[in-house]
Amino acid sequence: MNPEKLREDFPILVNGLNGKPVIYFDNACVTLKPRQVIEAMNEYYENFPACHGRSSHKLGLKVTEEYEKSRKTVAEFIRAKKPAEIVFVRNTTEAINLVANSLELKKGDVVVTTDKEHNSNLVPWLFLEKRRGIKRRIVPWPEDGNLDDFTEAVKGATLVSIVHTSNLDGTSLPVKEIVKISHDAGALVLVDGAQSVPHKETDVRKLDVDFLAFSGHKMLGPSGIGCLYGRYELLERMEPFLVGGDTVDDTTYSSCRLSKPPEKFEAGLQNYAGAIGLAAAVKYLKRVGLERVEKHEKTLNRIITESLLQHEQISVIGPEDPDKRGGIFSFTIKGIHPHDISAFLDEENIFIRSGAHCVHSWFNSRGIEGSARASFYLYNTKEEAEKFIEAVEKIMKIFG
Amino acid sequence: MYSEKVMEHFRNPRNQGKMENPDGTGVAGNPLCGDVMKFYIKVRNGTIVEAKWETFGCAAAIATSSALSEMVKGKTLEEALEIKREDVSSFLGGLPPIKEHCSNLAVDALRKAIKNYRERVKE
Repeated sequence: MNPEKLREDFPILVNGLNGKPVIYFDNACVTLKPRQVIEAMNEYYENFPACHGRSSHKLGLKVTEEYEKSRKTVAEFIRAKKPAEIVFVRNTTEAINLVANSLELKKGDVVVTTDKEHNSNLVPWLFLEKRRGIKRRIVPWPEDGNLDDFTEAVKGATLVSIVHTSNLDGTSLPVKEIVKISHDAGALVLVDGAQSVPHKETDVRKLDVDFLAFSGHKMLGPSGIGCLYGRYELLERMEPFLVGGDTVDDTTYSSCRLSKPPEKFEAGLQNYAGAIGLAAAVKYLKRVGLERVEKHEKTLNRIITESLLQHEQISVIGPEDPDKRGGIFSFTIKGIHPHDISAFLDEENIFIRSGAHCVHSWFNSRGIEGSARASFYLYNTKEEAEKFIEAVEKIMKIFG
Repeated sequence: MYSEKVMEHFRNPRNQGKMENPDGTGVAGNPLCGDVMKFYIKVRNGTIVEAKWETFGCAAAIATSSALSEMVKGKTLEEALEIKREDVSSFLGGLPPIKEHCSNLAVDALRKAIKNYRERVKE
């Protein structure tokens, strides 16, 4: 893998900003998009900007062909059995909401999560608790890999809804083992793959998950497109929660006949350009190879971790071993507010994230005001990592 | 990034801490960055004689709180209410654009403290 070569595909890395190069380390939030993705989307808007599945003219047929091809590309990427198991949605949050609203959870049904969930996998369940009287169990993150708490919590649960890789510190759960434990207890498993699918090989059949949610914008794709993978038998059984345009095959004034999955879940005109852009992103990632991407991110993380953790004022959130944190270095500096770290780096055109990273619950429970988070991707370089280290050390001098 | 004066107030914050038996208290928060600021005032004959504050936040939030607590001392409530966020940032020699909302926070907390004082006086 040659990041220098890959960088040529990303306009902002080539052009820089205000005459200075850009170091983009906010990839856990949104990644940059290569021109291949932008071009694929432009092709839709320029050459066949029509509707899928309905209009039988040449443009409509072309959209149908490209949209379904995109679905197939994404399905193969996560090794789904068939394309119909991929429902296009706006993002991970919407995918989780789809499951939350379509699983028909009843009063007393138990949903298990961890204590390190993004708001997207906390708030939908909080609402169901209020509206339908479901029960929630929160399992502490198994830092040492011991799954006893999970084994206990999943007893009698209906759904286990867990993040695969934490956006807070980059650590990952042993999903395969948790799925096994959950299935043995009769619970379904929904995995929030927003931070894992873009960075490591994901095989829904090997993991044996029932649902997998992920977003396009964190994997070189456009914003406004994401996916819910669901086992076909489950999707077939579930009622859609958004209905209307598309979603049905036929209607009378008093009845409707729902379409099959995935159409029954894709209400109204869809984000065709988004799906096509996502497929282009998937092809790009496949060409580079996710194994190499993962390794590269860990290399950068190691350079930064080994250097910055020598300063005793700096602490990392999560384990010190960078191999356990993939492409995320989430840190605090004693006496310096995370927002000051990010604001200072911003002046150097180094873009990171600061704050609670939408995991407010975790920070609030610990009384920590937030962290600064640098997150890496395939186009980041060792040279950028060195510049980041220098800039952070400079901040400590200024504020010290 | 920050002016000398901002850094000076950040390193040596004035009037920081909780006030015992304040005449008015105001709280302002910024949900975007999670900063929360508490502003306390003591009032004699319509004039602010003492101001203290508690802030968890960035250097700009701390410096603007510190600056405002100096700026309001000896001012009448009417005069204090006229202080605008721009006045706080120019007192500090300017703030980076991204940090302008921090000065808003301090002024908001002060106004709430004055409102709180006036409500208590009425009672």
